Formats: sequence, structure tokens, C-alpha cells
Amino acid sequence: MTTLLAASLATLVFCAPGYPGGAGDAQPLLDQFAAATAAISGWPAGSLGAVYDPTEEGGLAKLAGNDAVLAFVPYPFYVEHAAQLHLTPLVQADMADIGPQQRWTLVAKSGRLTGPASMTGYLLLSTAGYAPDFIRHSALQDWVLPADVKIEFTGQVLSALRRAAAGEPVAVLLDQTQAAALPSLPFAAELKSVAQSAELPVALIAVVGSRLAPPRAKALQEGLLKMGRSGGSSESLAPLRLRGFVLPKLPSRTAP
Amino acid sequence: MKTSFFCGVSILALTACATQPQSPPLPRAQPSTTQELAAAIDADARRSDHEADAKVRAELAAEAGRDADACLAREPQAAACLYGGAIALGLEARAHPARAGESLNSMLDKLARAESSDPNYDEAGPARVRALVLIRAPGWPLGPGDTEAGLDAARRAVALRPLYPPNLLALAEGLAKTGDRSGARDAYARARDAAQALPDAADRNDWLREADQGLKH
Repeated sequence: MTTLLAASLATLVFCAPGYPGGAGDAQPLLDQFAAATAAISGWPAGSLGAVYDPTEEGGLAKLAGNDAVLAFVPYPFYVEHAAQLHLTPLVQADMADIGPQQRWTLVAKSGRLTGPASMTGYLLLSTAGYAPDFIRHSALQDWVLPADVKIEFTGQVLSALRRAAAGEPVAVLLDQTQAAALPSLPFAAELKSVAQSAELPVALIAVVGSRLAPPRAKALQEGLLKMGRSGGSSESLAPLRLRGFVLPKLPSRTAP
Repeated sequence: MKTSFFCGVSILALTACATQPQSPPLPRAQPSTTQELAAAIDADARRSDHEADAKVRAELAAEAGRDADACLAREPQAAACLYGGAIALGLEARAHPARAGESLNSMLDKLARAESSDPNYDEAGPARVRALVLIRAPGWPLGPGDTEAGLDAARRAVALRPLYPPNLLALAEGLAKTGDRSGARDAYARARDAAQALPDAADRNDWLREADQGLKH
């Protein structure tokens, strides 16, 4: 890996706050993905490296490096940092289980919330809590949160749901996978879905600033769009639960 | 089980990071008694802790699994066999991440039965290992991780064996993960003090290192 990175001219930074997995665990899978991406895009072998960081701060620090030319990030991260990092979407991830888009669901104690205004004084917890702009203006665009709602990141979604079910003034914003699993919880009857987002991208690969020349970016985009549709490339996608990539389809507010 | 973004990279590290490449498992005398089988599983787990080669880790996991099956065939309700079976499943989860969810659920089941059979086995090992699985595994809905339940298990281990450093380290890890920095520092300090009171040994040095690292954060 060290040799590969040393020879790399460009680095793809994966960052997924709130999702499990450490950098050490992920690295072999990322190396495999970077090599396959370079090959299918016609880039020289070893010219694309990849690193992973499971935290927002760590991901931002890595993206600040001059070699970080690409970001592979969840959509909430994109919404929160696209302007600051000058991100230009290249492709949208097509996830094996949920596809390229997903809906987010706001869950609270049954019978407590009658509308957005009744959330005054609430704490909203989510794995996307590091991206309050995404929560207020994308996921809950049609459920206008009172100004005093506090939004916090949590990696402990189960604990957050227990707090809500116990009657604390807590609401939880779930991604599609979490929302689908909600009925399996023993206290599911205590909770109710009160709002749902429109379909939003799950994750994107974006170019950072002007660090990648347009012809190379174009070649990479064409290569990524072929992944999963040509022999061999599927092997590097499956461990990351990816089916392939599609052209970005962003809501108008976040389209570049 | 449904999965989500990047969960494919979530691999449970139940043990320390691999740092020292070693040779493949050596030929050994076939263990036959319950005690020998439990000791063989423990030895495989210790080797796996420091093994960088995934292939060797897979061989160690398979060997531990065979020994656990043999042990459980002899004494299905013995804490040593249930606990050994759980440890073998942990090695299996690490060696084959794609099947980790199933392995970890079986592991938790075996640990619960071991704890019912003999909660004091291996210095409160069933509760301690259960705590580490629940604290470190991917959480709901991707895996069986549940920090609150893990913290409860760590507290049970500490209540049974309050001076055994790994129990205090598990408690510290759980407290740190729930954001209780003060509680975590206190538990790391207690773990360090407990380790310092023990005779010099490789395990003791590992515990001291882990406690010192925890106290730095």
C-alpha cells in the first residue's frame, strides 16, 4: 500500500462519518477499488490511490491535502462541505441494496409530534447530525424545524431510538436502511415516522476544486460509469456494497 | 441483513491490531481433554492477535473452530467449551468478514450461556468478551453492536473481578464510546494501577500500554 501511495499522483478520499469501519480495515478494499478505477479509466497503474477516514474532521483534513483530488462521500457530507471544498460531482454511487437514491425518515415517540412546531426544544439525533444544513434544508425541507431544535451527530442510533421511545424530547432522523429495520426493534410500537424526505443521492464521487484536469476527470467519469458493467470491475465494487455508478442527479438546491 | 454505505468495510477487530508477521501454525499434539481443548483455543486466539497474514488467521480460526466443536461434543454445557466456542467464532468473524454478522450473533449466544454456566470463568471472561463484542461491533441495524448493553456487561465483569485489568479496560472503552470521558479516564487509571500491581509479563505490558493510550485521549 505504501508503495502504491508513494507512486500515486492522485488520491481519492473516502469519508463516511457515522458508519462503522476503521481505516486499517478498509484499506485493502480501497486499494483494490482505486486500482480497478484507474485501469478502467485508462489512467496509468498506480496513479490513483485511496484513503479512508471514518470521521468528518479526519476526512476534511485529508481532503485539504494537495494530493486529494477526489472525494467519495455520503450526500449529507457533500451538502455540508461542497461549497467550502469546491466539490464538483462526477458520479453518484449505485448501492447494492438501496440503489442510487434513498429517503430519510424522521422518527419520534408515538403521539408526541403533531407538526414541525411541536418539535420546539427537541434534540434531533442522526448519523447525519454532523450536517445540520443537510438535515434542515434537504432531508426535512418540507418539515421546517423550529430554530431551537438542537441537531447532534450520533453513531449510537439504537440508543437514540431508545431515548425517543422512553419519552425524552428526542427525534431521530434515520437513513433508508435504518428506517427499514425499525419494525424489527422490540420497542418499535412506541415510535412513529413523522416525516420523510424526497429521494436524495446516497453518496457521490466529486472532484475537489480544480485539482484534476478536465480530460482526466472526463476519463475517470467514463470509467466509473462502466464499472459493474464490464468484466472484473464488479469484484472491486462488491466489498464496498456498490453496484456501480450513475450520472449525478442532484436536487436543484445542491446542483452545481 | 440490509446494509448501507461503507458497511462493507466494517470488519470487527475483537483483538489487538496485527503487528508481527508470524509463521503458519505449527504442527501440535492433538488436544483431547476439555482443559487441553480450551487451552488450544486460547493459544490460537493469542497467536491470531499478533498475526498480520490473513491466510494464517483463517487457519487459526479453522483450527480453533475444530477444537471448539470437539470440546462442545464432550461437554456441551461446560463454560470452558461455550466460552472457547465463542472465542473461536470471534476468530471466524475476523477471518471471514462477509459472514461476521452470523458469527457474532452465535458468539453472543454462546457467551450468554457461558456466563450462565460460570460467570467467573477466565476472570469473568464471558461478560468481558460480551462487552467488547457489543462495544466494538457495528451497531444496529448493520450488526449486533450495542454500546449500552456492552457497558452493562463490562460493569458485570468488573463487579466480579474488579482488579483484573482487561475488565477495567473494557469498562473504560465502553465509557469512552458513550462519551463519558471522565468515567473512562478513571477506569483507565484503575486498569493501569491494577496492572502495575501484577508481576512483570507480556500481558501486563500490553494492558499498561492500552491503559496509557486511553489516558492520553
